[in-house]
Amino acid sequence: MSSVDMRVRLGSLELRNPVLTASGTFGSGREYADFFDLARLGAVVTKGVSLESWSGNPGPRIVETPSGMLNSIGLQNPGVEAFCAKDLRWLADRDVPVIVNVVGHRADEYAAVAERLEQESGVHALEVNISCPNVDAGGMAFGTTCPAAAEVVRSVRAVSTKTLIVKLSPNVTDVTEVARAVEAEGADAVSLINTLLGMVIDTRTFKPVLARGVGGLSGPAVRPVAVRMVWQVSQAVSVPVIGMGGITCAEDATEFMLAGASCVAVGTANFMDPTTAIGVVSGLERFSEEHGVERITDLVGAAWKTK
Amino acid sequence: MCDQEGSPAIEPVVVVSNERVATSVCRIVLDAPRTAATVEPGQFVHLRIARHADFILRRPFSVHRARGERLEILYQVVGRGTRVLEDARSGDVMDVIGPLGHGWRIPEGTSRALVVAGGLGAAPMGMLVERLAERGVQVALAQGAPSAGRLLARDLFDSLCRKSVVATDDGSAGTCGFVTVLSAELLDREQPDVVYACGPEPMQRIVAGQCAGAGVPCQVSLERLMACGVGACLSCVVDTHDGLKRACVDGPVFDAADVVWDSGDEPEAV
Repeated sequence: MSSVDMRVRLGSLELRNPVLTASGTFGSGREYADFFDLARLGAVVTKGVSLESWSGNPGPRIVETPSGMLNSIGLQNPGVEAFCAKDLRWLADRDVPVIVNVVGHRADEYAAVAERLEQESGVHALEVNISCPNVDAGGMAFGTTCPAAAEVVRSVRAVSTKTLIVKLSPNVTDVTEVARAVEAEGADAVSLINTLLGMVIDTRTFKPVLARGVGGLSGPAVRPVAVRMVWQVSQAVSVPVIGMGGITCAEDATEFMLAGASCVAVGTANFMDPTTAIGVVSGLERFSEEHGVERITDLVGAAWKTK
Repeated sequence: MCDQEGSPAIEPVVVVSNERVATSVCRIVLDAPRTAATVEPGQFVHLRIARHADFILRRPFSVHRARGERLEILYQVVGRGTRVLEDARSGDVMDVIGPLGHGWRIPEGTSRALVVAGGLGAAPMGMLVERLAERGVQVALAQGAPSAGRLLARDLFDSLCRKSVVATDDGSAGTCGFVTVLSAELLDREQPDVVYACGPEPMQRIVAGQCAGAGVPCQVSLERLMACGVGACLSCVVDTHDGLKRACVDGPVFDAADVVWDSGDEPEAV
C-alpha cells in the first residue's frame, strides 16, 4: 500500500487519486473494462452527452499526424436519456466517480442536459464542454468568447448542484480570460486543453483528409501547449485545474501537476495503450514516494510556487 | 460463431518472420499464444508497431491464419506504419490488442459457400476457408488483383476450395477484369448458401448487390480508419439501416443487407 496521500478535491467532490480519463477517448468506461478495474481511476469522464442524439460528422473522422492525431468525430452520442438508461446504469455498479461531459448547440440545451442529470445520483460532476472544435453550432463557439462562455455556465449553474467543471478551448488568444469568466459564473473547476484546431491535406487528392476539413489535434504533439496553458490558468483562477493534452505516462502527468494541475486526464494515449491511465496512477505514487512527497497535492503548481 | 469470441487483452508478441509474399504485400508471423488460441475467423488484432515513434496509433490487421501459437498477418506496405512494420526483424517485440470485433458467421446448415476477395481482401479469408473446410462446406473462391504478382495465398485457397479462380486487371493471370465478373458467374453456377466478401468497398458493394439480386445472404468485412479498436472513439463508424455502427466492435463483418452503401461514383468497376 502506498504511503502517499493521493486524494484530491474538485469542488465538493473528493477523488481517491488525481487521474481521470479525457472525454471522448474512453467511451463510457465500459469499452475499457476488459483491460483494468475502473475503480482504480480517480474518475471516469464520459463522452459528450447532448439533449437529443447527435449523429456526428461524416468519415473519414480521424487522421494521424506527427506524434498526434486529428479527429472530427463531432460528438456522436445517443442523447441523455439513452445515456442514462445504458451507460450510466452500467457505470453505477462500478466503484468509481462519474463525470459526465455535457454538450449543446445552445445554452438552454446544456441546461436541459444538466437538469436531466441532476436527478441521477450516479453522476458526481458535470464537465461543460464549450470547446469542441467539431460542431458547427455551439461547441467551441461558446468557449472562445467570454460572454458566450459565461452564458452557458450561468445557465447550467442555475439548474445544477453538482460539481461543475468547464472544459476550455486552447483556440483563443488568452485562455486566462475565459477561465476567469467561467470561474465568476460559479465553475468549481476548469479542465484544459481541448483539442487544437488543425488540418491535413492529401497531396494526391488535393483535398483535406477529414471529410469535415478541419479537426482537433491531440496527442503528445500538443503537450507543451497544454502545459503552458495550465501554468497560465492555474495562476489566474483559484479553482482547481484539470490538466490534459498528450499525457502518456506518469512523468508527463507530473509535468502538468507541477504546472498547476490538481488533476490530470489521459486522452489519446488510451488509444495507444488502454492501460495508460492506470500506469499514470501507479507511476505518480512511485514518483511521490521516491521524492518524499507525502501528499500528491504538494506537487500542484510547484513549478511556479517555488520560482 | 460470435458467442465463442473471447474477450480482448493486450498481449506482447514476438516477430517470428516477416517477408514479402507478393508485390508490395508482406506476411508477418507473430508468436502470440493467447490471441492465436482465441481468435475466430474474420476477427482482427490492433498492432502497436513501435513505441516512441512519431506515429502513435495502433494499426488494425485481420488475422490471415492462426496456427498453434502463431498469428499470420498479410499487410500491404502503404504508409508510414506499414513501412516501419516491413523493417521488423525476427525477435522484435511488439504488442497486440486482440482478438477484436465480430468475425464471419457460418449459418446453420451451410453446405456451399462463395468467397470473393479483392486485393488485400484475401487476408481475412485464410482462416475462413480453413474453418469452412473443417465444417465440410464446399467452397468456391474468386480472387481479384491488379496483376498476377499481387495474388495472395493461392496455394492455401487452391488446396481447400473445391473451385478457386482468379481475375486480374491486366490479364496476367486468370480472367482479365474485375473479380465481380467472376462472382456474378459463380453466384449463378455454384448456387451458394452464403457469400463472404472482402476487398475495396466498391467491389463489396457490387457483390452485395449481386447477392441481393440472387437472394443469397452476403457478409462483408469493412475497413475503416480506427483509433481505439475497442468501441470508444467512434472513428470507424459504418452507416447501417439500424443507425451508425462501429466497425471495430459491431463489425468488421456485417450483413451486406444491413449496410447503407455509398451510391458510388465508380461505375467502371462493374
